[in-house]
Amino acid sequence: MGWLWGSGSIDDSGVKKTQGGAFESPSRSNRKQCYAARDAFFECLDKNNILDSINSKAGREKSASVCGQFDQEFEKNCAHSWVEYFKKQRVVNYQREQTIKRIESQGGEITAPQLPLPGQK
Amino acid sequence: MSTPSRCMAAATRGLISPPAARAAHRTVASRTSNLVASSRKATGGNTACLRELQRIQNGNRKITSSSQGQTRTFSQSASRNKLKTIDQIRARNKGGPFNLTASILFVVAGAGMWAYFTYEKERMARKRIAEQTKGIGKPKVGGPFQLVDQDGVPFSNEDMLGKYSLVYFGFTHCPDICPDELDKMALMYDKVVEQCGKVLLPLMITCDPARDTPKVLKEYLSEFHPEFIGLTGHYDKIKETCKAYRVYFSTPSSVKPGEDYLVDHSIYFYLMDPEGDFVEAIGRNFTADQAAKVIADHIKDWEKPLKKETRWQ
Repeated sequence: MGWLWGSGSIDDSGVKKTQGGAFESPSRSNRKQCYAARDAFFECLDKNNILDSINSKAGREKSASVCGQFDQEFEKNCAHSWVEYFKKQRVVNYQREQTIKRIESQGGEITAPQLPLPGQK
Repeated sequence: MSTPSRCMAAATRGLISPPAARAAHRTVASRTSNLVASSRKATGGNTACLRELQRIQNGNRKITSSSQGQTRTFSQSASRNKLKTIDQIRARNKGGPFNLTASILFVVAGAGMWAYFTYEKERMARKRIAEQTKGIGKPKVGGPFQLVDQDGVPFSNEDMLGKYSLVYFGFTHCPDICPDELDKMALMYDKVVEQCGKVLLPLMITCDPARDTPKVLKEYLSEFHPEFIGLTGHYDKIKETCKAYRVYFSTPSSVKPGEDYLVDHSIYFYLMDPEGDFVEAIGRNFTADQAAKVIADHIKDWEKPLKKETRWQ
Protein backbone atom coordinates (compact mmCIF):
# COMPACT_ATOMS: atom_id res chain seq x y z
CA MET A 1 0.00 0.00 0.00
CA GLY A 2 3.03 2.21 0.47
CA TRP A 3 3.35 3.09 -3.17
CA LEU A 4 -0.34 3.89 -3.29
CA TRP A 5 -0.02 6.46 -0.57
CA GLY A 6 3.08 7.71 -2.29
CA SER A 7 1.12 8.45 -5.41
CA GLY A 8 -1.57 9.82 -3.13
CA SER A 9 0.52 12.92 -2.53
CA ILE A 10 0.37 13.65 -6.27
CA ASP A 11 -3.36 12.87 -6.15
CA ASP A 12 -4.05 16.29 -4.69
CA SER A 13 -4.58 17.40 -8.28
CA GLY A 14 -7.84 15.43 -8.26
CA VAL A 15 -11.07 16.50 -6.64
CA LYS A 16 -11.62 16.32 -2.88
CA LYS A 17 -13.42 13.17 -1.91
CA THR A 18 -14.84 11.55 1.16
CA GLN A 19 -13.43 8.34 2.60
CA GLY A 20 -16.20 6.44 0.85
CA GLY A 21 -15.08 7.79 -2.52
CA ALA A 22 -17.89 10.31 -3.01
CA PHE A 23 -17.39 13.97 -3.87
CA GLU A 24 -16.98 16.19 -0.89
CA SER A 25 -18.85 18.81 -2.86
CA PRO A 26 -20.30 18.06 -6.31
CA SER A 27 -19.76 21.64 -7.46
CA ARG A 28 -19.76 22.84 -11.04
CA SER A 29 -15.97 22.98 -11.21
CA ASN A 30 -15.66 19.46 -9.79
CA ARG A 31 -18.16 18.16 -12.28
CA LYS A 32 -16.30 19.84 -15.10
CA GLN A 33 -13.03 18.27 -13.98
CA CYS A 34 -14.68 14.86 -13.80
CA TYR A 35 -16.28 15.18 -17.25
CA ALA A 36 -12.91 16.16 -18.76
CA ALA A 37 -11.21 13.09 -17.23
CA ARG A 38 -14.06 10.90 -18.46
CA ASP A 39 -13.84 12.26 -22.00
CA ALA A 40 -10.07 11.67 -22.07
CA PHE A 41 -10.52 8.09 -20.92
CA PHE A 42 -13.29 7.40 -23.43
CA GLU A 43 -11.21 8.91 -26.22
CA CYS A 44 -8.48 6.44 -25.39
CA LEU A 45 -11.00 3.61 -25.43
CA ASP A 46 -12.33 4.79 -28.80
CA LYS A 47 -8.82 4.89 -30.27
CA ASN A 48 -8.18 1.33 -29.14
CA ASN A 49 -11.59 0.13 -30.18
CA ILE A 50 -12.68 -0.84 -26.68
CA LEU A 51 -16.34 -0.48 -25.82
CA ASP A 52 -16.74 -2.13 -22.46
CA SER A 53 -14.32 -1.29 -19.67
CA ILE A 54 -16.38 -2.52 -16.73
CA ASN A 55 -18.81 -5.36 -17.36
CA SER A 56 -16.48 -8.14 -18.54
CA LYS A 57 -13.16 -9.27 -17.14
CA ALA A 58 -11.57 -9.11 -20.57
CA GLY A 59 -12.76 -5.55 -21.05
CA ARG A 60 -11.47 -4.46 -17.66
CA GLU A 61 -8.07 -5.98 -18.30
CA LYS A 62 -7.72 -4.61 -21.79
CA SER A 63 -8.74 -1.07 -20.82
CA ALA A 64 -6.41 -1.19 -17.82
CA SER A 65 -3.44 -2.26 -19.94
CA VAL A 66 -4.06 0.19 -22.79
CA CYS A 67 -5.72 3.18 -21.08
CA GLY A 68 -4.70 2.55 -17.47
CA GLN A 69 -3.30 6.00 -16.97
CA PHE A 70 -6.48 7.70 -18.19
CA ASP A 71 -8.52 5.36 -16.03
CA GLN A 72 -6.58 6.40 -12.94
CA GLU A 73 -7.12 10.08 -13.77
CA PHE A 74 -10.79 9.32 -14.26
CA GLU A 75 -11.05 7.69 -10.83
CA LYS A 76 -9.07 10.51 -9.26
CA ASN A 77 -11.33 13.24 -10.60
CA CYS A 78 -14.71 11.60 -10.18
CA ALA A 79 -16.64 9.91 -7.42
CA HIS A 80 -16.25 6.16 -7.77
CA SER A 81 -19.99 5.75 -8.26
CA TRP A 82 -19.80 8.24 -11.13
CA VAL A 83 -16.96 6.32 -12.78
CA GLU A 84 -19.03 3.13 -12.70
CA TYR A 85 -22.08 5.00 -13.91
CA PHE A 86 -20.30 6.56 -16.88
CA LYS A 87 -18.56 3.34 -17.89
CA LYS A 88 -21.85 1.45 -17.89
CA GLN A 89 -23.61 4.34 -19.63
CA ARG A 90 -21.05 4.15 -22.44
CA VAL A 91 -22.01 0.56 -23.15
CA VAL A 92 -25.75 1.23 -22.86
CA ASN A 93 -25.59 4.27 -25.14
CA TYR A 94 -23.69 2.32 -27.78
CA GLN A 95 -26.15 -0.55 -27.67
CA ARG A 96 -29.06 1.81 -27.91
CA GLU A 97 -27.58 3.54 -30.95
CA GLN A 98 -26.99 0.18 -32.60
CA THR A 99 -30.53 -0.96 -31.90
CA ILE A 100 -31.96 2.24 -33.35
CA LYS A 101 -29.74 1.91 -36.44
CA ARG A 102 -30.77 -1.71 -36.91
CA ILE A 103 -34.46 -0.95 -36.64
CA GLU A 104 -34.18 2.03 -38.98
CA SER A 105 -32.20 0.01 -41.53
CA GLN A 106 -35.05 -2.51 -41.52
CA GLY A 107 -37.39 0.30 -42.41
CA GLY A 108 -38.97 0.61 -38.97
CA GLU A 109 -39.42 3.79 -37.01
CA ILE A 110 -38.54 4.13 -33.39
CA THR A 111 -39.69 6.74 -30.95
CA ALA A 112 -38.88 6.57 -27.29
CA PRO A 113 -41.87 6.98 -25.01
CA GLN A 114 -41.80 10.57 -23.84
CA LEU A 115 -44.10 13.43 -22.99
CA PRO A 116 -45.56 15.18 -26.01
CA LEU A 117 -43.99 18.52 -26.79
CA PRO A 118 -46.20 21.63 -27.08
CA GLY A 119 -48.00 21.53 -30.40
CA GLN A 120 -47.75 17.71 -30.64
CA LYS A 121 -50.67 15.47 -30.10
CA MET B 1 -85.78 102.08 -69.24
CA SER B 2 -87.65 103.74 -66.45
CA THR B 3 -90.12 100.92 -66.04
CA PRO B 4 -87.68 98.13 -65.47
CA SER B 5 -85.63 100.30 -63.13
CA ARG B 6 -88.76 101.14 -61.14
CA CYS B 7 -89.61 97.54 -61.20
CA MET B 8 -86.14 96.75 -59.91
CA ALA B 9 -86.56 99.28 -57.18
CA ALA B 10 -89.89 97.76 -56.23
CA ALA B 11 -88.39 94.31 -56.37
CA THR B 12 -85.54 95.44 -54.20
CA ARG B 13 -87.97 97.09 -51.84
CA GLY B 14 -89.92 93.85 -51.83
CA LEU B 15 -86.75 92.01 -51.02
CA ILE B 16 -85.92 94.15 -48.04
CA SER B 17 -89.55 94.73 -47.00
CA PRO B 18 -90.32 93.66 -43.40
CA PRO B 19 -92.28 90.45 -44.23
CA ALA B 20 -89.50 89.31 -46.59
CA ALA B 21 -86.85 90.20 -44.08
CA ARG B 22 -88.72 88.32 -41.37
CA ALA B 23 -88.83 85.33 -43.71
CA ALA B 24 -85.14 85.55 -44.45
CA HIS B 25 -84.52 82.23 -42.84
CA ARG B 26 -86.95 80.52 -45.13
CA THR B 27 -85.92 78.83 -48.34
CA VAL B 28 -84.87 80.77 -51.37
CA ALA B 29 -87.86 79.46 -53.26
CA SER B 30 -90.37 80.96 -50.84
CA ARG B 31 -88.41 84.17 -50.86
CA THR B 32 -88.76 84.36 -54.66
CA SER B 33 -92.51 83.75 -54.48
CA ASN B 34 -92.63 86.62 -52.01
CA LEU B 35 -90.70 88.64 -54.48
CA VAL B 36 -93.12 87.79 -57.25
CA ALA B 37 -96.07 88.78 -55.11
CA SER B 38 -94.60 92.08 -54.08
CA SER B 39 -93.36 92.96 -57.55
CA ARG B 40 -96.74 92.14 -59.03
CA LYS B 41 -98.26 94.54 -56.60
CA ALA B 42 -95.78 97.16 -57.63
CA THR B 43 -95.92 96.77 -61.40
CA GLY B 44 -99.49 95.69 -61.95
CA GLY B 45 -98.61 92.97 -64.48
CA ASN B 46 -96.02 94.82 -66.53
CA THR B 47 -94.59 92.28 -68.96
CA ALA B 48 -91.19 93.82 -69.25
CA CYS B 49 -91.01 93.87 -65.55
CA LEU B 50 -92.15 90.25 -65.43
CA ARG B 51 -89.40 89.27 -67.79
CA GLU B 52 -86.97 91.10 -65.61
CA LEU B 53 -88.41 89.27 -62.62
CA GLN B 54 -88.01 85.96 -64.33
CA ARG B 55 -84.42 86.81 -64.95
CA ILE B 56 -83.96 87.50 -61.26
CA GLN B 57 -85.82 84.35 -60.42
CA ASN B 58 -83.62 82.39 -62.77
CA GLY B 59 -80.59 83.96 -61.16
CA ASN B 60 -81.96 82.95 -57.77
CA ARG B 61 -82.59 79.48 -59.00
CA LYS B 62 -79.05 79.32 -60.27
CA ILE B 63 -77.79 80.33 -56.83
CA THR B 64 -80.06 77.74 -55.25
CA SER B 65 -78.96 74.96 -57.53
CA SER B 66 -75.33 75.89 -57.26
CA SER B 67 -75.51 75.96 -53.49
CA GLN B 68 -77.28 72.62 -53.52
CA GLY B 69 -74.62 71.35 -55.87
CA GLN B 70 -72.01 72.34 -53.35
CA THR B 71 -73.61 70.32 -50.57
CA ARG B 72 -74.01 67.42 -52.92
CA THR B 73 -70.34 67.30 -53.83
CA PHE B 74 -69.60 67.47 -50.13
CA SER B 75 -71.62 64.39 -49.26
CA GLN B 76 -71.26 62.43 -52.48
CA SER B 77 -67.61 62.83 -53.28
CA ALA B 78 -67.61 59.31 -54.70
CA SER B 79 -69.44 60.53 -57.76
CA ARG B 80 -66.12 61.87 -58.99
CA ASN B 81 -65.06 58.23 -59.44
CA LYS B 82 -67.96 57.53 -61.71
CA LEU B 83 -66.99 55.72 -64.85
CA LYS B 84 -67.14 58.08 -67.74
CA THR B 85 -66.46 56.14 -70.89
CA ILE B 86 -67.52 52.72 -72.08
CA ASP B 87 -63.86 51.69 -72.07
CA GLN B 88 -63.62 52.44 -68.40
CA ILE B 89 -66.68 50.35 -67.69
CA ARG B 90 -65.30 47.51 -69.76
CA ALA B 91 -62.00 47.67 -67.94
CA ARG B 92 -63.82 47.57 -64.62
CA ASN B 93 -66.02 44.65 -65.59
CA LYS B 94 -63.14 42.64 -66.99
CA GLY B 95 -61.94 41.65 -63.53
CA GLY B 96 -65.40 40.99 -62.19
CA PRO B 97 -66.09 41.91 -58.56
CA PHE B 98 -62.51 41.03 -57.52
CA ASN B 99 -59.99 43.77 -57.07
CA LEU B 100 -56.93 44.36 -54.93
CA THR B 101 -58.81 45.81 -51.96
CA ALA B 102 -61.24 42.91 -51.86
CA SER B 103 -58.51 40.31 -52.04
CA ILE B 104 -56.44 42.01 -49.31
CA LEU B 105 -59.51 42.21 -47.07
CA PHE B 106 -60.26 38.55 -47.75
CA VAL B 107 -56.73 37.43 -46.90
CA VAL B 108 -56.49 39.60 -43.79
CA ALA B 109 -59.86 38.45 -42.49
CA GLY B 110 -58.98 34.83 -43.20
CA ALA B 111 -55.63 35.08 -41.45
CA GLY B 112 -57.25 36.80 -38.48
CA MET B 113 -59.88 34.08 -38.14
CA TRP B 114 -57.26 31.37 -38.48
CA ALA B 115 -55.04 32.96 -35.81
CA TYR B 116 -57.97 33.41 -33.46
CA PHE B 117 -59.26 29.86 -33.81
CA THR B 118 -55.78 28.39 -33.45
CA TYR B 119 -55.24 30.41 -30.30
CA GLU B 120 -58.58 29.39 -28.86
CA LYS B 121 -57.97 25.74 -29.71
CA GLU B 122 -54.61 25.80 -27.93
CA ARG B 123 -56.10 27.59 -24.96
CA MET B 124 -58.88 25.02 -24.62
CA ALA B 125 -56.33 22.19 -24.84
CA ARG B 126 -54.29 23.80 -22.05
CA LYS B 127 -57.41 24.30 -19.98
CA ARG B 128 -58.31 20.65 -20.38
CA ILE B 129 -54.81 19.64 -19.24
CA ALA B 130 -54.85 22.04 -16.31
CA GLU B 131 -58.25 20.87 -15.12
CA GLN B 132 -57.57 17.19 -15.51
CA THR B 133 -56.43 16.91 -11.90
CA LYS B 134 -58.89 19.37 -10.38
CA GLY B 135 -61.95 18.23 -8.53
CA ILE B 136 -63.01 15.08 -6.80
CA GLY B 137 -62.17 11.65 -8.16
CA LYS B 138 -59.29 12.83 -10.27
CA PRO B 139 -55.80 11.34 -10.00
CA LYS B 140 -53.82 13.46 -7.62
CA VAL B 141 -50.22 14.52 -8.09
CA GLY B 142 -48.70 16.52 -5.27
CA GLY B 143 -50.05 17.07 -1.81
CA PRO B 144 -49.13 18.18 1.68
CA PHE B 145 -45.53 18.02 2.84
CA GLN B 146 -43.39 19.41 5.64
CA LEU B 147 -39.77 20.04 4.68
CA VAL B 148 -37.05 22.65 5.29
CA ASP B 149 -35.44 24.93 2.72
CA GLN B 150 -31.76 25.58 2.09
CA ASP B 151 -31.66 28.10 4.96
CA GLY B 152 -33.14 25.63 7.40
CA VAL B 153 -36.51 27.44 7.41
CA PRO B 154 -39.59 25.17 7.42
CA PHE B 155 -41.29 24.99 4.05
CA SER B 156 -44.60 23.27 3.48
CA ASN B 157 -46.96 22.88 0.55
CA GLU B 158 -48.82 25.95 1.86
CA ASP B 159 -45.81 28.10 1.02
CA MET B 160 -46.43 27.22 -2.60
CA LEU B 161 -49.97 28.65 -2.67
CA GLY B 162 -50.59 31.83 -4.64
CA LYS B 163 -47.87 31.17 -7.17
CA TYR B 164 -47.14 28.62 -9.81
CA SER B 165 -44.40 26.18 -8.79
CA LEU B 166 -41.95 24.24 -10.86
CA VAL B 167 -40.97 21.19 -8.83
CA TYR B 168 -37.93 19.11 -9.63
CA PHE B 169 -36.72 16.06 -7.75
CA GLY B 170 -32.99 15.43 -7.75
CA PHE B 171 -29.88 15.08 -5.64
CA THR B 172 -26.61 16.95 -5.51
CA HIS B 173 -24.42 13.91 -6.17
CA CYS B 174 -26.15 13.33 -9.47
CA PRO B 175 -23.63 12.64 -12.23
CA ASP B 176 -25.05 14.28 -15.32
CA ILE B 177 -28.79 14.45 -15.77
CA CYS B 178 -29.79 16.59 -12.79
CA PRO B 179 -27.14 19.28 -13.34
CA ASP B 180 -28.20 19.55 -16.99
CA GLU B 181 -31.84 19.70 -16.02
CA LEU B 182 -31.20 22.29 -13.33
CA ASP B 183 -29.31 24.45 -15.84
CA LYS B 184 -32.32 24.14 -18.10
CA MET B 185 -34.62 24.97 -15.20
CA ALA B 186 -32.64 28.19 -14.60
CA LEU B 187 -33.12 29.16 -18.25
CA MET B 188 -36.83 28.31 -18.13
CA TYR B 189 -37.30 30.25 -14.91
CA ASP B 190 -35.65 33.38 -16.31
CA LYS B 191 -37.72 33.20 -19.49
CA VAL B 192 -40.97 32.79 -17.56
CA VAL B 193 -40.13 35.61 -15.13
CA GLU B 194 -39.30 37.83 -18.07
CA GLN B 195 -42.75 37.23 -19.55
CA CYS B 196 -44.95 36.88 -16.48
CA GLY B 197 -43.11 38.40 -13.51
CA LYS B 198 -42.10 36.62 -10.34
CA VAL B 199 -45.08 34.30 -10.12
CA LEU B 200 -43.16 31.03 -10.34
CA LEU B 201 -41.40 29.20 -7.50
CA PRO B 202 -38.47 27.09 -8.68
CA LEU B 203 -38.23 24.18 -6.23
CA MET B 204 -35.72 21.37 -6.10
CA ILE B 205 -36.63 18.60 -3.68
CA THR B 206 -33.80 16.25 -2.85
CA CYS B 207 -34.23 12.50 -3.00
CA ASP B 208 -31.05 12.06 -1.01
CA PRO B 209 -31.69 13.69 2.37
CA ALA B 210 -28.82 11.87 4.06
CA ARG B 211 -26.21 13.80 2.09
CA ASP B 212 -28.23 16.84 0.99
CA THR B 213 -28.45 18.95 4.11
CA PRO B 214 -29.70 22.54 3.80
CA LYS B 215 -26.07 23.73 3.72
CA VAL B 216 -25.11 21.38 0.90
CA LEU B 217 -28.23 22.31 -1.08
CA LYS B 218 -27.60 26.01 -0.62
CA GLU B 219 -24.07 25.76 -1.95
CA TYR B 220 -25.13 23.49 -4.79
CA LEU B 221 -28.15 25.47 -5.98
CA SER B 222 -26.44 28.86 -5.77
CA GLU B 223 -24.38 27.71 -8.77
CA PHE B 224 -27.53 27.30 -10.82
CA HIS B 225 -29.79 30.21 -9.89
CA PRO B 226 -29.95 32.49 -6.85
CA GLU B 227 -33.75 32.13 -6.73
CA PHE B 228 -33.81 28.34 -6.57
CA ILE B 229 -35.27 26.88 -3.40
CA GLY B 230 -33.87 23.57 -2.25
CA LEU B 231 -35.98 21.39 0.02
CA THR B 232 -34.82 18.60 2.27
CA GLY B 233 -35.97 16.88 5.44
CA HIS B 234 -36.01 13.58 7.26
CA TYR B 235 -35.94 10.49 5.13
CA ASP B 236 -39.59 9.70 5.98
CA LYS B 237 -40.74 13.21 5.07
CA ILE B 238 -38.92 13.02 1.75
CA LYS B 239 -40.42 9.61 1.12
CA GLU B 240 -43.93 10.95 1.79
CA THR B 241 -43.34 13.88 -0.53
CA CYS B 242 -42.03 11.66 -3.31
CA LYS B 243 -45.02 9.40 -2.86
CA ALA B 244 -47.41 12.34 -3.12
CA TYR B 245 -45.75 13.44 -6.35
CA ARG B 246 -45.66 9.87 -7.69
CA VAL B 247 -41.90 10.07 -7.85
CA TYR B 248 -39.90 6.88 -7.83
CA PHE B 249 -36.58 7.02 -6.01
CA SER B 250 -34.10 4.44 -4.84
CA THR B 251 -32.27 6.05 -1.94
CA PRO B 252 -31.31 3.59 0.78
CA SER B 253 -32.87 4.58 4.11
CA SER B 254 -29.69 4.23 6.13
CA VAL B 255 -26.32 5.18 4.71
CA LYS B 256 -22.96 5.64 6.36
CA PRO B 257 -21.46 9.14 6.31
CA GLY B 258 -19.28 9.66 3.26
CA GLU B 259 -20.68 6.62 1.51
CA ASP B 260 -20.60 6.78 -2.26
CA TYR B 261 -23.82 5.86 -4.01
CA LEU B 262 -26.16 7.07 -6.70
CA VAL B 263 -29.91 7.60 -6.55
CA ASP B 264 -32.31 6.59 -9.26
CA HIS B 265 -35.27 8.90 -9.52
CA SER B 266 -37.94 10.20 -11.88
CA ILE B 267 -36.79 13.19 -13.88
CA TYR B 268 -39.85 15.25 -14.66
CA PHE B 269 -40.56 18.85 -13.86
CA TYR B 270 -43.93 19.18 -12.19
CA LEU B 271 -45.86 22.37 -12.85
CA MET B 272 -48.22 23.11 -9.96
CA ASP B 273 -50.85 25.84 -10.05
CA PRO B 274 -51.40 28.51 -7.34
CA GLU B 275 -53.96 26.28 -5.63
CA GLY B 276 -51.43 23.46 -5.28
CA ASP B 277 -52.94 21.31 -8.04
CA PHE B 278 -50.83 19.56 -10.59
CA VAL B 279 -51.01 21.10 -14.06
CA GLU B 280 -48.56 19.40 -16.34
CA ALA B 281 -45.34 17.41 -16.33
CA ILE B 282 -42.42 18.60 -18.42
CA GLY B 283 -40.06 15.96 -19.68
CA ARG B 284 -36.40 15.87 -20.49
CA ASN B 285 -37.13 16.11 -24.19
CA PHE B 286 -38.39 19.70 -23.79
CA THR B 287 -35.98 22.49 -24.57
CA ALA B 288 -35.86 25.43 -22.18
CA ASP B 289 -37.82 27.50 -24.69
CA GLN B 290 -40.54 24.90 -25.16
CA ALA B 291 -40.86 24.39 -21.42
CA ALA B 292 -40.94 28.13 -20.75
CA LYS B 293 -43.70 28.51 -23.33
CA VAL B 294 -45.79 25.76 -21.71
CA ILE B 295 -45.40 27.36 -18.28
CA ALA B 296 -45.95 30.94 -19.43
CA ASP B 297 -49.07 29.95 -21.38
CA HIS B 298 -50.58 28.29 -18.32
CA ILE B 299 -49.74 31.31 -16.17
CA LYS B 300 -51.37 33.66 -18.69
CA ASP B 301 -54.50 31.47 -18.67
CA TRP B 302 -54.80 31.82 -14.89
CA GLU B 303 -57.63 34.20 -14.09
CA LYS B 304 -57.51 34.19 -10.29
CA PRO B 305 -55.06 36.37 -8.32
CA LEU B 306 -51.36 35.59 -8.23
CA LYS B 307 -48.89 36.50 -5.49
CA LYS B 308 -46.12 38.61 -6.90
CA GLU B 309 -44.09 39.15 -3.74
CA THR B 310 -41.69 36.57 -2.40
CA ARG B 311 -42.52 34.85 0.84
CA TRP B 312 -39.80 36.65 2.78
CA GLN B 313 -41.16 40.10 2.07
